[in-house]
Amino acid sequence: MGDHVLQKVTIPGPTLASLIHRVFSSPGDSDGLLFGRVSHIIPSSLSDDADLISTTSSASSGYSSTLVATVTGFISPGTTCSFYDSSGHLDISSLRRLVHLSNHPLIGWFSARRRCPLSPSLREFSVSQSLTSKTQFSFPVQNITSSEISPCIFLLLTTPFPDGQTPIHSYDYRAYQFRISSKSFDAKPLGIINIGPAFRGHYSAFCPNSQLPYLSCDYRDSPMKEDSREVSESLNQMKKLLVYQKELDVYVEGYSVGSLNALMGSQATNYVTGLEELYEKMLAKLDSLAKLVENSSAKVLEQENHNIRLRYKVAGLE
Amino acid sequence: MAIEGLPPFIAAQLNFLLSRSPISIRMEQMWSGSKNDPYIDRFTLLIPFCLDYIKWTIIYNVQNPLTAPDMIFGPDDESFFPFLLSADGEGDASRKSPINFLSNWDSRDPSRLLSLILQLRDLYSAYQRKRVGEVDDERVKFEISTILSREGIEMSMSSGVEKTEEVKFAVPLLDMDINKLVPACPWRHPQKIYLQVIYPIGRKYSYAPSSPFLKLVSTPELRSLFCVEDVKLASWLDGMCMAEYLPSLEETLQMQILEAVTLIGVRRQFIEALAPVFGRPLEADPMFCRKATVLVGNGSFTFLVHFIVPSQFPKQQPTLVLQSSQHFNSQGMPIRSHPLSDYPWSPRWEAPQMAERIFDFLVDESLNFKKYCNEPHLQQH
Repeated sequence: MGDHVLQKVTIPGPTLASLIHRVFSSPGDSDGLLFGRVSHIIPSSLSDDADLISTTSSASSGYSSTLVATVTGFISPGTTCSFYDSSGHLDISSLRRLVHLSNHPLIGWFSARRRCPLSPSLREFSVSQSLTSKTQFSFPVQNITSSEISPCIFLLLTTPFPDGQTPIHSYDYRAYQFRISSKSFDAKPLGIINIGPAFRGHYSAFCPNSQLPYLSCDYRDSPMKEDSREVSESLNQMKKLLVYQKELDVYVEGYSVGSLNALMGSQATNYVTGLEELYEKMLAKLDSLAKLVENSSAKVLEQENHNIRLRYKVAGLE
Repeated sequence: MAIEGLPPFIAAQLNFLLSRSPISIRMEQMWSGSKNDPYIDRFTLLIPFCLDYIKWTIIYNVQNPLTAPDMIFGPDDESFFPFLLSADGEGDASRKSPINFLSNWDSRDPSRLLSLILQLRDLYSAYQRKRVGEVDDERVKFEISTILSREGIEMSMSSGVEKTEEVKFAVPLLDMDINKLVPACPWRHPQKIYLQVIYPIGRKYSYAPSSPFLKLVSTPELRSLFCVEDVKLASWLDGMCMAEYLPSLEETLQMQILEAVTLIGVRRQFIEALAPVFGRPLEADPMFCRKATVLVGNGSFTFLVHFIVPSQFPKQQPTLVLQSSQHFNSQGMPIRSHPLSDYPWSPRWEAPQMAERIFDFLVDESLNFKKYCNEPHLQQH
């Protein structure tokens, strides 16, 4: 694990917005983990926009290659000290539990506190230092083989002080990379990715991911079948596909892909009702799922409020 | 002292800190970090260090009342973090380290915050000493090697983008307990006098190193006994060092302080001598005898006379302020005269004579003051 120097940290606008919403809707200070990736980018000066060419090429000439960290997701329990104690020592087991909730590597953490100076605190320094020095959470840098980086990102969010009673809510934030070699926070520019001309550079770094299982193509009636001898040897792959197929069958409730064929041609109208039924069932399922989520959210909120009251009781406030 | 909106567990620790601290720590600002609740759980403390103040923000969390507070240090002190954490050593040292202190926090113990701040201040002092030790300047290196044994010396390194680099020393002077010299001493904190020595860290190629900036600083309460601004500092000769400069300075200071203590008695005699002439004073400062107020009447005009006795009395004469008992300005405040300190005076007079001469002066002055009080623009209509 080398001490890589990041050029900047980027975050999609919606992710930052939902992060800000999450942390500042909680009753007090909060923290959480940041997930995402660190990629090695060779900036390209090619652009479709004629007026962008000159600016991009001049900006990128200083960097032949750069490391950029991208935040793609976060988890926040809505309180502080969720994976460390008050002196900043990590609680490895709860950290592991939180990390397993995401498919992406842990790239760092964030801390949000109201009406505070926008500079790291003692505890935040201690947590970042422990997190960065733990090799067990290192993850590979994209586009460079055999290169790893530890979760060194720290995002600090505050509200300005004094915030007064103005109708405008403003939030300050700053991104840091914790450098293990100098034992210090290195402030990094935080780039917000929004759709637009500036987003173009991110197309190459974009990797789509979906929770839906892989859809197998039916080759049985295809002439390609004779050409592919590899089908027989990938028995394992077929087994995997079978598992996926079963999962998919649960979603469609017996409606096979084959019957989609019948939707083409003159007889199509006879089958439309079947498909509509399927959609209606799916919508009903979604609806009941949404209701379940709503009810459980209400219960979580109730429990959270109860917990706050209990904590106040401990503190002698009520 | 009850502070509005503070949860009891924070209030107990903060009150303990403000009332029991051996150094006078001040709280500057306090506010709430909650979204909806009004409970105050964060504040800034001004902690005296090296004749200056360091400002630390203390962040409790009312949502997690049992957890230890977090801290933000000054913007120039980012390298204090690793220094602090490296003090988190093994064995015996680790048990005393503030980090260990934070993880075994007991929110019900009111003395916790104060002990934490004092521990951190000690470490901060060690951290600044280390920074000063790393300065590449021959004079500073020499001063440190000769002066370090002096007890209570503090030093700090200040550098910034706009400021020139400088090393500050705060050297405590006089090994005597000034509080013990004053009978029935009212001071809670021990009074001290410091010499502030500031070395500008010049560039390598400058030939003549400029002499350091020198200033005497005392604890604020000492002012009622002795004013360090009145002390004339000897000039710093080329090639001098602190170890050479300090002994003679301490000798003069010691003499002046002993003299200042005897001057309390002289002032007391003067105030006592006022009684036969003016009647018993309405108010008098019994400790340092720096103030007295008497009631005087001239015909039907009655007024108060405030005597402000300087610490250099009798060399300097008292300043008098007259205050009418019958005339008020438009704000309803009693009308006062300008401070009067230009009247016949000799330090060689005996105390009763001083009182009589002031009385004679006031007989004339009261007429002027009465006229002044009756001027229409001052009067209330």
